[in-house]
Amino acid sequence: MPVTVLVTGATGFLGNRLLPQLLQEDVRIRCLVRSTSQTSRFHEGIPEELRSRVELINGDLSNCHDVDHALEGVEVVYHLAAALSGSCSTMFLNTVIPSRTLMEAAAISPVKRFVLISSLGVYGTKTTRRWGTLDETTPVDPHPEQRDIYSFSKIRQESVAWEVRDQLGLPLVVVRPGVIYGPGRSLVTSRVGLSLGPLLIRMGGGQPLPYTYVDNCAAAIVRAGLTPNIEGEIFNVVDDNLPTGRNIVRLLRKNGIPLRSIWIPRGLIGPLSSLYAWYSRWSEGQLPAVLSRYKSDAIWKPLRYSNLKARQKLHWSPIISTEEGLKRTIAAQPDVFAS
Amino acid sequence: MAVSSKIRVALLGCGQIADAHLSQIQRIRTAEVVGVCDVHPDLAWQAAVRFQVPQSFTCMEKMIVRTRPDVVHLTTPAQTHAALAIEIMELGCHVFVEKPFTLTGAEAQSVAEVARKMNKQVCVGHDQLFDPAWLTCKRWIHQGRIGDVRHIESILGYPIDGKFGNLVAGNPTHWVRKLPGGLFQNTISHPLYRITDLLIEQQPQLAGSWRTRPEFDFPTEMNLALQGRTQTGNLTFSTFLPPQRITRVYGTQGMIDIDFDGQIIRLNSQIKLPGAFGKLEAASRRFANSCWNLKQNFLQFSRSEIHYFAGMKTLFTKFYQSIQEGTPPPVPLEEIERVTFLMDRIFDHCRLVAHQSEALQQSFSPSLRIQSEVPVCL
Repeated sequence: MPVTVLVTGATGFLGNRLLPQLLQEDVRIRCLVRSTSQTSRFHEGIPEELRSRVELINGDLSNCHDVDHALEGVEVVYHLAAALSGSCSTMFLNTVIPSRTLMEAAAISPVKRFVLISSLGVYGTKTTRRWGTLDETTPVDPHPEQRDIYSFSKIRQESVAWEVRDQLGLPLVVVRPGVIYGPGRSLVTSRVGLSLGPLLIRMGGGQPLPYTYVDNCAAAIVRAGLTPNIEGEIFNVVDDNLPTGRNIVRLLRKNGIPLRSIWIPRGLIGPLSSLYAWYSRWSEGQLPAVLSRYKSDAIWKPLRYSNLKARQKLHWSPIISTEEGLKRTIAAQPDVFAS
Repeated sequence: MAVSSKIRVALLGCGQIADAHLSQIQRIRTAEVVGVCDVHPDLAWQAAVRFQVPQSFTCMEKMIVRTRPDVVHLTTPAQTHAALAIEIMELGCHVFVEKPFTLTGAEAQSVAEVARKMNKQVCVGHDQLFDPAWLTCKRWIHQGRIGDVRHIESILGYPIDGKFGNLVAGNPTHWVRKLPGGLFQNTISHPLYRITDLLIEQQPQLAGSWRTRPEFDFPTEMNLALQGRTQTGNLTFSTFLPPQRITRVYGTQGMIDIDFDGQIIRLNSQIKLPGAFGKLEAASRRFANSCWNLKQNFLQFSRSEIHYFAGMKTLFTKFYQSIQEGTPPPVPLEEIERVTFLMDRIFDHCRLVAHQSEALQQSFSPSLRIQSEVPVCL
């Protein structure tokens, strides 16, 4: 008897790659999407003979009626939907509030597993020493409001999930992927540096970047939903042999992708961040408070990232090597940032 | 209230525009935010944490009773403005309402009546009237630099895939889509009051229409002419244009062009030199004007005065002063009612034109038209 799973965010970058991998298991998939979502290319990555196992339903995650309807007969929920940009209130409206509605409904339904896709950005690295190892025992950031708004909303989303688990018994498993990359997404993320118009301000360059190739990440997520007896667990998902910012910039240039950049040495990142934060406060926000010592520590502090727990408990390992992943990403199209 | 004490401010509705309100109130030394409230506890919480507000609530009455604010900022969806503004005044507070003030002119009138009866101050978020660029433009007009104002042109470029447009286009249940004037009701207040601020006629005649881009199921474009006896106005709202807020004021002796985003004010006065010399005079005046703008913006930057919502801070400050000193609010109630009624008329007019145009298209027959227009050779 196939397991019925519900996937939110199925039309997104990760969702698109998750479905083909899920279909390799004995499952029927229901995808809850907004009526305005781009679904024209939805079935493209799914083999024709498997398409009958995928059901697409329209609805709004903030609407209790739509959520109850979507959860009917579902045993596993993969909750991927989240806002990636917008103002803080928009991020909360599109990430935290719908998650609360969905998780509360799932907790009182016969759902046996709820997989929340969180983010590696939820960790607070203040107490972790330089070149220390970040793993599942690292504490969550105690001052999320001082971080970027994406991390802030993801930290709140996760705290709501644990609250619903404690109060209503949600069978929760949390996956915290690093930066998900792959064809169609820029390799130059805020972990590499900040964009100032067409210019990239490279922050350091020697620190490992917690990247995970989209197919590797999707494989870990599939297992988080189907591996028995792991309720209440957290899994970090990052690849092996992580690239550095320097690697990525060199690789892009080697492939003929022009990248205009200014390099900030690692030793200057902290003092410059403090200076910027001071000016932003002094000028009452004439320059937005996008940078502070606290934020720069969280993003650019040199750390090592462990995926040991996912390897041991989910029996997962990255199938696509970092080298191959980077190659495929660059081959698919020129870097979005660089272009 | 003692003039020296800080004014206590509470905010209801912690959506996107609430961030602008809270950040500008924080810049006013005579004000303090004592509480924020939203029906969604997570939204209220994030606003309180980010702006260091001591308390957050999910019930407005509880917030007002516990924090005893002097004034409540209302930043909820427009559908709730009238009822909530009245309730806030009945609970003893003055109220600042984000634009659009209410859904209809009749609602605006009922809010104004309660304000007058209860002796409470009401103001609306027409903040661009207090933008430094607009204040300079008004000063130049009063100095007679362009003569008598005869025409005002206001443009709002609002890309539908931009950070604001995308929220409405991407969410079929967004509250903006449910407004009687749809997307326009939430957006045209700014370009419209930049026209009415200089328009003598209270309710000018209207011509124009709204249109829908084929890929959307709600009207996205608007072009409207406002016709008075001695003055005219033109309002353009387009989702095809990049983001821009531009107003041009044409007078009997010149023109002022204001780019709110670039904080650039251009003065075009009449050319005095004849023929070819005039071309040199015009270009050199433009050059001098550009140098003046560069100097102004540089000075403003050095004084940390360049803020997107600079007008909002000035408007709040003036409103709080009017509460503390018992003087009229910076945007008079009559002006609020006038703009709200004018918006009613604009949406009614556009609906009527759209209906007539649809009816015309249905009855249109190319063959009949050709028969009637082609002259018959005898």
